Amino acid sequence: MADKTKVGKEYAPVRWEVERGKIAEFAKAIGDPNPIYLDRQAAIREGYKDTPAPPTFLTVPMMWSSSMPGVITDLAINFMMVLHGEEEYEYYRQIYPGDVLTGIPRVASIEEKTSKTGRKMDMVTIEILYTNQMNEKVAKARSLLVERK
Amino acid sequence: MSLYFEEISVGHEMPKLVKGPLHKLQHVIYAGASGDFNPLHTDDDFARAVGMKDGVITHGMLIMGFVGQAITSWVPRRDLRRFTVRFAGMTRPGNTITITGRVVDKLTRGGENLITCEVVAVDEQGDVKVSGSFDASLPSKG
Repeated sequence: MADKTKVGKEYAPVRWEVERGKIAEFAKAIGDPNPIYLDRQAAIREGYKDTPAPPTFLTVPMMWSSSMPGVITDLAINFMMVLHGEEEYEYYRQIYPGDVLTGIPRVASIEEKTSKTGRKMDMVTIEILYTNQMNEKVAKARSLLVERK
Repeated sequence: MSLYFEEISVGHEMPKLVKGPLHKLQHVIYAGASGDFNPLHTDDDFARAVGMKDGVITHGMLIMGFVGQAITSWVPRRDLRRFTVRFAGMTRPGNTITITGRVVDKLTRGGENLITCEVVAVDEQGDVKVSGSFDASLPSKG
């Protein structure tokens, strides 16, 4: 079961340099043909500085940095029993190619719940606050992990 | 293209988006793009060994990505302030996903004109895969 003494703990920062090609690759993987993600000139015509990151792009630094497995291990959560229950993003500024993001993962909460069938679960919320190279807050990602017990 | 606060009222529907049918190849492409290499999404043998008798399941975050596509095809990306989903059911290759949404709230707060929309992604049987909501801050015609 998740280690409740770790609520509030922060982990090693995720660092990620945003590239135009990665933004386009990510949009193509979703099958999103919106030209603002694929073509700098089209993005500029729509009033953007460059191709903005799509809404779920922050999964890229999180997954490629492999930060979550370390957090899960530190929280003594059983990998095989974890489900991704919810994902939330709050957006403060656009993310553009050339931005260097720093994300600080933090354990926001751990709560025990009982399912309708009487099964106990730990609801673990991990937040990652991302800032850019100007030290401006750009977004917060919040992941709810459900550990079945 | 802009969407103006005055043009939107509670009950207004987001344009529907249909995605799919999903192919295993898209899982591989999404794994590479996102960095999520959990073999549950790309390796049928692994998926069966952990109890998925029909093989691989789709990344939940890919379905969230579909919902993000539906949203920012309608609301400009720069206007999106919050986007949240709950993963309600597993998606498999062959599923066709339909995303719909509806405005449930509209208010002005701190000088921003905010709308809140509920969104849902369902398969061809109507089974819910992802449900959630988003807030957007829309420009005013002034």
